[in-house]
Amino acid sequence: MRGDEFSFRDELAARGISRREFMSYCAGVAALLGLPASAAGEVAAAMETKLKPAVVWLEFQDCAGNTESFLRASKPSAAEVILDLLSVDYHETIMAAAGHQAEQALASSLEAHKGQYVVVVEGSIPTGADGAYCTIGGRSALQIAKEACKDAAAVIAVGTCAAFGGLPAASPNPTTALSVSDAVPGIKTLINLPACPVNAENLTAVLAYFLTYGRWPATDHYSRPLFAYGKTIHDNCERRAHFDGGQYVEHFGDEGHRLGFCLYKVGCKGPVTSQNCPNIRWNEGTNWPIGCGHPCIGCAEPNFWDRMTPFYEHLTGVPGFGAAADIDRIGLYATAAVGTAFTAHALVQLGRKAYDKRKAKVSVATATAAPAKTTSPARAKPAEADKPEADKPAPAAEKGREP
Amino acid sequence: MAAPAHPPAITTPVADAHDASPDLEPIYVWDLVVRLTHWTIVLSMLVLAFTGIDIARPFLDAPSGTGHFQTGWVRIIHYYAAIAFSLAVGSRILWMFLGPRRSGWRQFLPVSRRRQRELIGTFKFYVMLRPRPPHTVGHNPLAGLTYIAVFGLYLLMILTGFALYSVSAYGSYMKMWSFLLPIFGGAQGARWIHHVVMWLLLGFAVHHFFSALLMARVEKNGGMDSIFSGYKFVPKGSERDDDR
Ligand code: HEM
Ligand code: SF4
Ligand code: SF4
Repeated sequence: MRGDEFSFRDELAARGISRREFMSYCAGVAALLGLPASAAGEVAAAMETKLKPAVVWLEFQDCAGNTESFLRASKPSAAEVILDLLSVDYHETIMAAAGHQAEQALASSLEAHKGQYVVVVEGSIPTGADGAYCTIGGRSALQIAKEACKDAAAVIAVGTCAAFGGLPAASPNPTTALSVSDAVPGIKTLINLPACPVNAENLTAVLAYFLTYGRWPATDHYSRPLFAYGKTIHDNCERRAHFDGGQYVEHFGDEGHRLGFCLYKVGCKGPVTSQNCPNIRWNEGTNWPIGCGHPCIGCAEPNFWDRMTPFYEHLTGVPGFGAAADIDRIGLYATAAVGTAFTAHALVQLGRKAYDKRKAKVSVATATAAPAKTTSPARAKPAEADKPEADKPAPAAEKGREP
Repeated sequence: MAAPAHPPAITTPVADAHDASPDLEPIYVWDLVVRLTHWTIVLSMLVLAFTGIDIARPFLDAPSGTGHFQTGWVRIIHYYAAIAFSLAVGSRILWMFLGPRRSGWRQFLPVSRRRQRELIGTFKFYVMLRPRPPHTVGHNPLAGLTYIAVFGLYLLMILTGFALYSVSAYGSYMKMWSFLLPIFGGAQGARWIHHVVMWLLLGFAVHHFFSALLMARVEKNGGMDSIFSGYKFVPKGSERDDDR
């Protein structure tokens, strides 16, 4: 942990964040975490006085999109500054040190804050070819991750790649990429923050919660904090009334699209995607995909690339029938084929019967007329598999066909 | 289902209805639980498939203006039908172990020699290698084996359905099913399975309907009516213990 050697308030002011902005940020965090308004003060006090945990930010197989997400250009928000002030000891993209110096910083931070530092992991971890697909300073991502996670107070996997494998792990997964939880099993406190990229508000809220209460927020079966992933996009969506009402965008740019109808039929994955985008939105709450007429592509879900594509279709196709094959058409054809097969079978049977009947007639003409229904002797031998029907004499032809 | 509830009650009207010869005698094969669960599954599955397709790609007329709850109702109907479906499937599976012999699990798995022999015979009939199927009273053994697979698909439908439902089951005991989500590869994975298996079941339903029709015609045993009345018609004095 770091000593509080500077005045947090002065530091904020020096970076252009007023006290008012800071307080409203804290109130925002409290609301985001689902805490009562009174908690804003607690959050602010914790931010100002509590020791900040050392943070090491590891980047593996990724596009640095999550880093981008919290370094968002123009004017840094309170959230970003606060993240910055969290004494990030190691972060390849933004740290000044390079080469051996940088690796030294990582090693000494892990040593100095053993058991108390927080690891943020961005990107998936390749395990194929002994981890050769991603190495830093001659060591594989897997080695680095294992070492860093071993004595961490908590590991936060940011972005879908770190949380679920993401793009690198998409079929055919050439590097055998794994999520942090799969690559480094047995992490005591793991928090997954999937999304492509992670929303910086959620990351700072997790850290603010920890600072305020000294423990980590409650998580679900995917280790995602409930405050951010407890509800689906669909259940908080501003277009939901149109979904329930059956009013849909049929094509981009049509009347329904202009009227702001539900994007379900152009592939919206909101019903199967859990995240708080409708509430906190993106780019300082400016807007979010569905708000500007684009369906949710399900970026925060497991198997994102394999399951959610094609993005403008409801479902992925059936393997072997092309990527975007229309399941419903295949299903309909298959169902019709089964029906046709049986109709054909019935027709063949009928034809056969007619044939047998004609044959029987020829032979019956010479024999004595057989009694039809009542006393067919064949009926008395039920175990015989190919008993003829009761309503006609047993034609010799039928016997002959037994295999 | 005006049939008497107990096997020995042989009434002539029933026999007449089937235009059977005096050599045939009715035999009670499907008990009330079997018939009730069968028809509950049929009806609820029709409703589930219809509403399910509309959930997947809404085709019912989209009303204009306000105050509509179109897809909302379709989903709610889907959920109520799902309750009926799940309970019927669950009851039928329990009945396989609790119910009378002919409703039991031995009817489905060809554990006995005899049923194994009949299994091959029935298969030969289906592919037209022999003109008549072997004589069976309960399920024909090939169908029995198919039903095992179908019940597996029913369970898959129920589990993926529960998993999907759990996603938005805030504050409900149904939330407990969310542990299934990782198993199915997330909600979208569950939805994909749920959707594809629906088509497998619809394909089966068509197959099942036609083969019941076919077998009833060929065997002339009243098989088609038996699932309403419970009775099939077999030659007098024939061996009834066909499931051993
Ligand atoms: C044979 C029985 C069933 C059939 C044929 C069926 C069919 C379907 C279909 C086609 C869909 C749309 C999937 C998609 O979005 O592509 C669906 C959705 C769904 N089904 Fe079923 N279903 C069945 C049983 C069940 C059961 C037992 C449940 C249990 C609760 C269930 C719950 C759901 C849920 C929660 C959805 C998602 C609804 C939504 O996203 O709005 N289904 N079903
Ligand atoms: S736009 Fe997407 S998330 Fe919003 S109501 Fe429609 S389907 Fe749901
Ligand atoms: S709306 Fe959907 S695709 Fe967009 S960021 Fe949110 S979860 Fe990802």
